[in-house]
Parts: sequence; structure tokens; C-alpha cells
Amino acid sequence: MAARGRCPECGSAALVEDAHYAQQQLVCAACGCVLAEGLLTTTYTEEEHLREVAYSQSTGQKEQLSRCLQRGIRRVQDLCKVLQLPAVFEETAVSYFQRALQLRAFHLVSLEKKELLGGCCVFVTCRQHNWPLTMGTICSLLYAKQDLFASVFLSLQKELGLSVPALSLADLVTTHLNSFRLFQPTANVPAPFLEDKEKLLARTMGIVELASETWLVTGRHPVPIVTAAAFLAWQSLQPGPRLSCPLARFCRLAGVDLPPPAHLRLKELLEILLGMASQLSWLRGFNLDKKTVVKHVGDLLQHRVFLLKNAFSQQDGEEQHDPAPGQGSPSPPPVAQQKGCPLAGRRPCRGTLRPLLPPCLIHPRKRPRPAAPSAPDPAPTGDEPISDSEIEQYLRSPEEIQAFRKAKAW
Amino acid sequence: FKDDFSTCPHLFTPMSPYDAEFPVQAAGDGVFGSQFNQPKEPCTDFSSVDLSFLPDVTQDNKEQNLSEDGHETQKEHKESLPSTQDSGVSMDESSLSHPGAAQESPEASGACPSLTPMAPITPATSPSKSSGIVPQLQNIVSTVNLACKLDLKNIALHARNAEYNPKRFAAVIMRIREPRTTALIFSSGRMVCTGAKSEEQSRLAARKYARVVQKLGFPARFLDFKIQNMVGSCDVRFPIRLEGLVLTHQQFSSYEPELFPGLIYRMVKPRIVLLIFVSGKVVLTGAKDRSEIYEAFENIYPILKGFKKPS
Repeated sequence: MAARGRCPECGSAALVEDAHYAQQQLVCAACGCVLAEGLLTTTYTEEEHLREVAYSQSTGQKEQLSRCLQRGIRRVQDLCKVLQLPAVFEETAVSYFQRALQLRAFHLVSLEKKELLGGCCVFVTCRQHNWPLTMGTICSLLYAKQDLFASVFLSLQKELGLSVPALSLADLVTTHLNSFRLFQPTANVPAPFLEDKEKLLARTMGIVELASETWLVTGRHPVPIVTAAAFLAWQSLQPGPRLSCPLARFCRLAGVDLPPPAHLRLKELLEILLGMASQLSWLRGFNLDKKTVVKHVGDLLQHRVFLLKNAFSQQDGEEQHDPAPGQGSPSPPPVAQQKGCPLAGRRPCRGTLRPLLPPCLIHPRKRPRPAAPSAPDPAPTGDEPISDSEIEQYLRSPEEIQAFRKAKAW
Repeated sequence: FKDDFSTCPHLFTPMSPYDAEFPVQAAGDGVFGSQFNQPKEPCTDFSSVDLSFLPDVTQDNKEQNLSEDGHETQKEHKESLPSTQDSGVSMDESSLSHPGAAQESPEASGACPSLTPMAPITPATSPSKSSGIVPQLQNIVSTVNLACKLDLKNIALHARNAEYNPKRFAAVIMRIREPRTTALIFSSGRMVCTGAKSEEQSRLAARKYARVVQKLGFPARFLDFKIQNMVGSCDVRFPIRLEGLVLTHQQFSSYEPELFPGLIYRMVKPRIVLLIFVSGKVVLTGAKDRSEIYEAFENIYPILKGFKKPS
């Protein structure tokens, strides 16, 4: 067909259609510049101008995805790369993101939320594969507010009907400890503070399991517990030089953030350990306090099952009040110095034992509410007559209205 | 029968755009509810009897067919629950039959022999509640249509207990002391009343607000009073292992300690959301009717008891 147009290089109109190795080419006869090569697919306009069509354009790949979707997918892929997730996670997260963005609930939300949506998809994928990723990490990567992230996460879960398994604390401990910089000698970490990773991991796991058995984990943020447990484990492995190091300094040396609740968790853990230590026969002689009990954490963890049973009163019945001896228990109250044998009675005779309860029940913040007063009027029907005086107390007098009019210029 | 319902607008609001969502139980909704389909059996004896003291639903409950269906669906429902539930539910039924039967007039029981009598209004009176704990209502949200356009600036000027900040929110916020409630009054004439502790109190409060608006000179009426949401709370008095609960009831529960310390349990039947905390306190919300809260708690209590023992 007749070639139209001019050569872009030299401006000559002498364009020749030639074949180079059976590939059609449009060549300028004057300068030899190749204007276009054999086209596989062309649009009508393309054929008119005999220009090349890019593959992505001709197959309409980019047109199928909106720009917003493309940007979101890129974001998801970047997040996966930053977190060094396996390739499978990336595919799953991208597919979730595509599905979610099509739904009405997410199609029209703000750009900020769409970005969070990408993060949520990555988060959900990680949780489904039991990859211990915390919301805090994702939020810090996305510079997002956690409550906004929470709302997007919950609505994503509801809309796509995803089942998100619970965060496994054991995996979280492993991952969190990986970020501690106490295993290799560095400039600011003194020699006695260095620790072997496996030992620290094992002991931290033990302390975290103890915490979850004693109701310190349920309902609380997981990361502060892991931090406090790691600190205790680290101190107990070499108490001599490390006892004087406070939690804040430990976190600074390890290069880890110190979450504010960690101090409280540490206090609670120490209280539990002290309670358990009072049951260990070879420790009874000592007057242990918060500092010194750390030295014996290894022993306490080893005998933890037995110690927990003896140190804290476990409830079997409905009552949580202090167990009075002989209160309906068939066997005689057990002797105080029971060590080897399991508890004979249902409740130990010591009333001073702290019950094994969540801290919110042991230190209740609210005053116990007085029993709801029985309705003074018998069976209110909702249709009682309303007196005029009662209503009039809510209406302003004319003088008040005048004063308000003057003040506010209604 | 429709007229009777409107005169006795007690606790059980006649139904059920809600119940239509569950076509499975065409005839039975647990122990308490049942459908108001057209009565197949013309029990014309009732016209002479004054049954206004009964809750509305009783009338249609006298259906033999429906009651049989009700039993069947209840049995299906029971099978899906853990076995400990069975005794509880059947105990409820048998116990509830007594007060129901006592209230019915002799002609009624004669005409339709095998009845599924309605539950008494407050299950607290029922002696054999399987858990022994009754959730307390904490908040009732209701709406009513005053059916006239309102001048909010005028109301805010003439009423002592009103606040109006159009830049922040397009409604007047009005409060009364007895019953202690808050109302949002919109210029379209619609009103939302919150804070009451019982359905009757909510209705009384809404009427008082309507009277205030009337006294301010608007031709306010009181149309379509409807309870939109009821919130209840109670305490099971033992700590709960939330991690265990989310594992066994994964399809209903959402427990994210990083977000919220409690477990969010979305019960399917009745459609109630429960917030369960480690201390044993339970908050139930999303109910349109008091019975749904009680039923939801009775459903969750045996599940929670399963997580009572410390590890």
C-alpha cells in the first residue's frame, strides 16, 4: 500500500516498504531509518499511520486495570519485598486486593484508605500462613493510624469473608527476638551483655508460656509481653552483671522499641514469679524480692506446673472469693507443707493465696456497682401521663429568651 | 388482629422484617418468637375475651400446625448446639408453659389443645433459667417521627435543655432528667432517643421530648415509634480463655488483642453481637427486642463455661 508521511529523521518523503528477513519494514530511502516494522496487530488508526503498537497496548493489558488498581498492586508488591515475604504471599495479597477493590465497600473510599487496604491484604495473607506479622509493624510501614487500619481490616475481613487465624505467640517470639541485636558483638554492647540466641529464645518462650497460663496475655497487646519476657530471660541467664540494667537501657542496647506497657507486664511477671518462688522448698529460706527472684527463673520455669498449682488457688466452683477451708470440700483441708503430692482437697487451706485470675479481676478499677434498684413504680408502661409542669421546666422564660437574643443575636 | 397489636405495644414489637431474613424457621424462632402468618384456624372465641394483658404474639401462637413446626425447627436448632444446651432449652420450654397456660383463658386452651404458649415478658420471673444470670439492659436506642418540619434554631433558643451547633452536627441535642436520656432532633421532624434502660422508659422519654416540641409551638405528633437497638451486659463470674474460644468458634469470633481486648462474637441466631472479655463480662448489642438478648446469652453461656477451667 502507498506509504504516507515523512521520515522523522531527515524529512524525506521517499518511504519504501521493504521486507527484511520476511519481516515487513517501512524504511526511508534517503537515510535508511526504519520507521516501522512488521506489525502483528494493529488498530485501524495504527494501520493508517503505520506505526508500531506496544504489546501492552495492543493486548489491552493496562486498559483492563485502572490506574488506582495498578498503583495499589505496586504498593502491595513493594510491601512484600520490604518484609521479605515469599512469592506466594505476594500473589495471594494481590488477588485479595483486586477482589476487595472491586467491592462497593472499597471502591469509593479515600486514597488513604486504599493504601491501607493494600497493607491489610498483606497482613491477612501473613496471618493466614502463620507468618507472625503484627499490626504495629504494618502501620509503621504505611505511616498509618492504627484505628484507621483497624477499621479497614475489620471491614475487609467482613466483606471478603476471610478467616484470619489468631496470632501465634510462639512465632511472634521468634520473629521479635530476631530483631534484637544482642547476639553479635557490637560497639555499644558490653561483653557480659551478649547472649546466645538459642538459649535466650528458649527461656523467653518459657516465660511467655508461663504468662499465658497465668492470664497475663489474654486481652493484652502481645509485643510488650514478649519484650518484658525477653528482658527477664536475658537477665536470668547471667544475673551477675545484668541485674543492674533497667528495661529501658536493655531495649536501647538491643535496638528495639520499648512499648509503654512493657513495664507493667514486667511487674506482673515478677509478681507471679515471686508467688511461685514461695513454694519452692529450697528458696523458702530466702527473702526474695523482685531483683533476686530473677536469679532463680530457670528453676521456677522447670517446675512451673507444680508451682502454679500450689502457689495460686485455682477455682473449680463458681466462687472466686478466698477459699475458706472445709467449705463443702469432702476431704480434710490439706497440710500446709504439701510438696510432692497433688492437692488432696479442692481448695488449699491458705486463705492468703492469690487466686489465679486475670489482673483486671484482681485489681478491679471500678467500684462494684450496687445491685440495680428495683423499679420504684410498678411495671412502667411508657404511656404514663406527662405533667405540664415537668415539661415547662425545660422551656425558657421570656426574660431568658430576651437575654439570649441580645447575647447571641439569634 | 392487627388492631389489637397496635393497642398493646408492649415489649414484643410485632414483626419481623427481621425474621424474614431467616426463611429456615418459618414457624419458630427459638423459644420466644413465632411468626404472625395468617392464622389458619379461625379461633373466633377470642373476640369476646379481653386478652390485652397478654403480649401480642400469644394470639397467633395458638396454631397447632405452627406449634408443631416450631417444635421441629427448635429440635433442629438444638442439634446444632452443644449437647449441654439441650437440657437447658427444653427446661425453658416446659417451665414457660406453666405461666403461659395460667394466663390463658379456659376457652382458648379448649379450642386449641396443643399450644406453644408464649414466654412471660421478663424471663427473670422464670425459675429455671439455665444460667441463672439475667443480662441487664443498659441502653435503648429508639426513633420516632414527629411528622412536622422543625425550626432547630427556634427550638435551641426556647428550650433550656437543648444544644445546637449546626457547624458540628445538623440536629438539636436535647436532654431530660427523668428518664435520663438524650435525644437528637432533626429538622425533618425525626428524632432519635438514646440512654433509656428499658423499652417503656424509652417510649416515655420520647413522648416527653415530643411534648416539649409541642409546647414550643410545633404540631408534633408521635408516629412510628420503634426500638432500633438494645444493649445489655452481664457477668458470668469466671475468667474466660479468649484464645481458646477464637480457635473453636473461628467462624463467629474475631479476637485481635492488638485492636481490642475483647472478643467480638457475631451470633447468627439471634443476630446479636457479643463482646466477651477475659474478666467474664459480656456485652450484648444489636437486639431489636429484649428476648434476643436473653436468648443470645443463654446460647453463649454453655460455650463460655467450656472455657472456664484455667489451663
